[in-house]
Amino acid sequence: MSQTRNSRREFLRQMACVACSGGAAAMFPQLRMMSTALASTSAGSTSALSGYKALVCVYLAGGNDAWNLLVPFDSSRYNVYSTSRSGVYDAANNPGGLGLVKPTTPTQIAAQKIIDGNDASSATNQYFLNPNVPELTSLFNGGNLAFVVNAGTLVKPITMSDYLASSSNYPDQLFSHADQTNQWQQGYAVETSNLGWGGQCGDVLGGSNGNQELSSCISIAGANRFEVGLTTVPYQLSSNGLTNLKGMCNTTCNGNNKLRDTALNNLLGETYANDFSGSYSDVFGRGRGLYSLLAPDLPTFAPKTIFPSGNSLAAQLQTVASMINLCAQKGYASRQIYFVQLGGFDLHSGMMSGNGNHGQLLAEVSTALNAFWSAMGPGDVNLQDSVTLFTMSEFARTLQSNGSGADHAWGTVQMVMGGAVNGGKLYSNGGGPISGFPNQALNAPNNFARGQMIPGIGVEQYAATLAQWMGVTSTTDLNTIFPNLVHFSSNNLGFV
Amino acid sequence: MRAARTARALLAAAAISTGAHATIHDHIFAGRFDIPADAPASANDAARFLTQATFGPTAADVAYLMAVGYAQWTDEQLAKPVTLSEPTVEAVVTARTNNGQAVTQTNRLNRWYWQATYAPDQLRQRMAFALSQIFVISDQAAGLNKYYVEMSDYQDMLARDAFGAYRTLLGDATYHPMMGLYLNAFHNVKGSATTSPDENYAREIMQLFSIGLIQRNTDFSPVLNAGQPVATYDQDVITQTAKVFTGFTFSDAPLSPPSFFGGGLTYAARYAPMACWGLELFGASDSHMKHDITQKDVVASYVGGVSVPNAIPANQTCAQDVTDELDILATHANVAPFISRQLIQRFVTSNPSPAYIARVSNVFLSSNGDLGDVVKAILTDGEARNPPPQFAGDSYGKLREPLLRLTAMWRAFGAIAPAADQYGEVHMIGNGGLYNAFLQSPLESPTVFNFYLPDYQQPGTFADNNLYSPELQITNESTTYSTANAYYAFTANASQGPLTDRPLLSFAAFGATPTAASIVATINTSMLNGGMSAALQGELTTMLTGLLASSPPPSVEPEWSAIYVTMLSPEFATQR
Repeated sequence: MSQTRNSRREFLRQMACVACSGGAAAMFPQLRMMSTALASTSAGSTSALSGYKALVCVYLAGGNDAWNLLVPFDSSRYNVYSTSRSGVYDAANNPGGLGLVKPTTPTQIAAQKIIDGNDASSATNQYFLNPNVPELTSLFNGGNLAFVVNAGTLVKPITMSDYLASSSNYPDQLFSHADQTNQWQQGYAVETSNLGWGGQCGDVLGGSNGNQELSSCISIAGANRFEVGLTTVPYQLSSNGLTNLKGMCNTTCNGNNKLRDTALNNLLGETYANDFSGSYSDVFGRGRGLYSLLAPDLPTFAPKTIFPSGNSLAAQLQTVASMINLCAQKGYASRQIYFVQLGGFDLHSGMMSGNGNHGQLLAEVSTALNAFWSAMGPGDVNLQDSVTLFTMSEFARTLQSNGSGADHAWGTVQMVMGGAVNGGKLYSNGGGPISGFPNQALNAPNNFARGQMIPGIGVEQYAATLAQWMGVTSTTDLNTIFPNLVHFSSNNLGFV
Repeated sequence: MRAARTARALLAAAAISTGAHATIHDHIFAGRFDIPADAPASANDAARFLTQATFGPTAADVAYLMAVGYAQWTDEQLAKPVTLSEPTVEAVVTARTNNGQAVTQTNRLNRWYWQATYAPDQLRQRMAFALSQIFVISDQAAGLNKYYVEMSDYQDMLARDAFGAYRTLLGDATYHPMMGLYLNAFHNVKGSATTSPDENYAREIMQLFSIGLIQRNTDFSPVLNAGQPVATYDQDVITQTAKVFTGFTFSDAPLSPPSFFGGGLTYAARYAPMACWGLELFGASDSHMKHDITQKDVVASYVGGVSVPNAIPANQTCAQDVTDELDILATHANVAPFISRQLIQRFVTSNPSPAYIARVSNVFLSSNGDLGDVVKAILTDGEARNPPPQFAGDSYGKLREPLLRLTAMWRAFGAIAPAADQYGEVHMIGNGGLYNAFLQSPLESPTVFNFYLPDYQQPGTFADNNLYSPELQITNESTTYSTANAYYAFTANASQGPLTDRPLLSFAAFGATPTAASIVATINTSMLNGGMSAALQGELTTMLTGLLASSPPPSVEPEWSAIYVTMLSPEFATQR
């Protein structure tokens, strides 16, 4: 946000009136964001931004045990899988095992079995999904969900011999949550930057949004690196939507509230020498301005679809659906990037049973994604082809058990959902030396001793595919946002 | 006179720098008839120190600090006995359970907030709170959510160890069952043909509790090798270190016949230091031997720029293995800067100068990790006592933690806690649930990485200038609102009694016939250490003129409005 403090004080003075008159939207000046080097580079070369599109990032925090989300069905690969996972889990006979039971009954098959539409051979194209995600099976079979297989942080495509040859051939701190989370959200694994690829896409695309006070990047899950760009900062709201500020003016105003409200607004319009005071004032002031813009309308733009209760991811996605509906219909934005998060995936223990186990988490994800898909459907928000949801998670988990759970690993599986997605397929080929569904033997050539896999697809290849769909098409912009993309032979995996 | 005062100042400074914190310093001129050489220069300076060192200044504390000076005040705080939470929480939980009443973490949190606001060992409780943001455990983990009493004991452990040796704290945290449950050392067992030991505690004890990810100099700057940072350990070290933390279980797990998964039958058994089932209890080939007895190639020490490997020998008892590992960690050169810098961030400023960090690190090193000496060095350092003049672009200080703003308000206005209910509980926080309002709550962090990262850089001014702003990580358009609404609940909705679920504010400080000017002056002294800006004075005066007209006495709406709006103001949100 590059608005000067004086113009923001003016803006807030206007808000004091607006709150009383009720006509918020008409009062907003069309403030143009300052052009960044990025945006001017892309002028004329990025595809014209027609219509409305949104990306929704679902961050699975802690390291999703994704090799128990998507499992090979054919017996030879399934047997390798279950051996590596310390045997099939059985509460009585093998409580330390992590392997899933293969579906056998017609009901189980219907709920879990999928065929990889990218593989013509029935010997290798059969897989099944975790029993707790029947909704995802249905979405996959309907062509609206795809899996990106064995993706992870890389500095360039490598094999095991490259890994062993030099530590400069792979990212730093491979098994540290904070560092790997940063590298996924940066779309860049060579070093730590302060920029995320979502925020940088916002830098390129956000300038043409109808309302410039509302950031192109919106978070329902708090501060995150993904949505920070050179000039983009995420606007944050909670899954409870927008609440009133007590004792102050909101959509209505009485005498004593007005006295307090005027004092607060004036304080938030001051200039502060201290950076902490200034930042706090900016955040609070921005929140007051955007409250006036959004709060009166947000409840009426809620989707008709009923979202599952007691499911924090669903609650966040419901707010996303409301905001998409509101912003698209009011013309506040033509390109938006949302961020939601579900935690609890760091299952060093309690993976297969007990409170918060992996199956429970996956069930939350599946029902939440399914509700969001319905909410985007015809008869509701009706933007299925315009909204693409995708997961990120910092790493997979060791195939081998530690006795009740699994530890940190590397290459993992992510999923992408939306009407524009070329679904019903697995995308496992990034054009590098490692490709295809990985060999899950613990001693496979590109695996480590506990079943951590060297990825065959880099995070930037995954992210650049999504960025291009959103409208970041100029090679210059892509290579600026993803400085390492040039090391990979393909910058578009084709899943959307 | 001036020369004599200077000499006394030098003596006092010398006294501050010795490690004898356990005894109260002798002052050559003790007594009310003389002013200590290190007395605060003004009541405002005293209030500023107490903002850093306690949960908020009170008029009485300001007067006492003025009378005895910084060194004596700090020494007395270091000597104060610990106010415990576990006995009260256990009594409340027991009474409620016996009467068919639900028990939740709020029963633990009410006690925490009561201690923060009223306990006399303020510096010790502040230190325990700071340590709880480094040695993180959290009731947000499913395994700990019902352990209200046992988590209170973890809080007490941090408070007891607050001014002791770092090595003692490291050991007590490692052996505490709540840490064992949180980071999976509890019931972690040696590897088998198909499993390997859980690596979680091995990783986090290094990454978060002792040495961090890269080698550091005493001023916290990274050690560079050909321009690149040097990692402190790699994945192999983690896998090896995981073997150290195997064999842990409850201290009362039965031994005859042995039941590793048994025990934990009482509160005390669930917070007593864990037992370890190693060679000290069983033979190497006994099926109940749960501790790994192979050699462990753990983290290297880094001495004079050279990496010195450390191997813990095979066939030792578990206790010996853990002792060896914790000794290696505690004596690693990184610990002093890594811990000192975070403590400075909790108490004083988000961006200490390298020289400030180095001064405190050197106290850490020369005192063998005496945390009492360290916190005293932090608070008495010139960089803490003498803020720079405030010009545009000033980055000294920090954003105040949301719950510390609440306790400061309670202490400033002598908030009166309700009487204990029939179960012995004093209710401080209404319906509880302050985590969602603040994104901060004692021992309720969403992950082991605390509410905010020490290295968080707010996009914009902070990131552009490579400055850190941890507390801004939880400050967003949503939490500014939810925090404000929580403050409203403890001001507007706490201004008239009787109250049973939160402290009642006292407006005695405002006097019997307040005017706009007198209210503003009281707010300035009580909440802003005398440094209220002209702009805030103007806004409050205008607001109060209106409120005193529309809501005259006996209404207290002008008073609580002044407190509330000040609590929301950018300058109250900042500690400088």
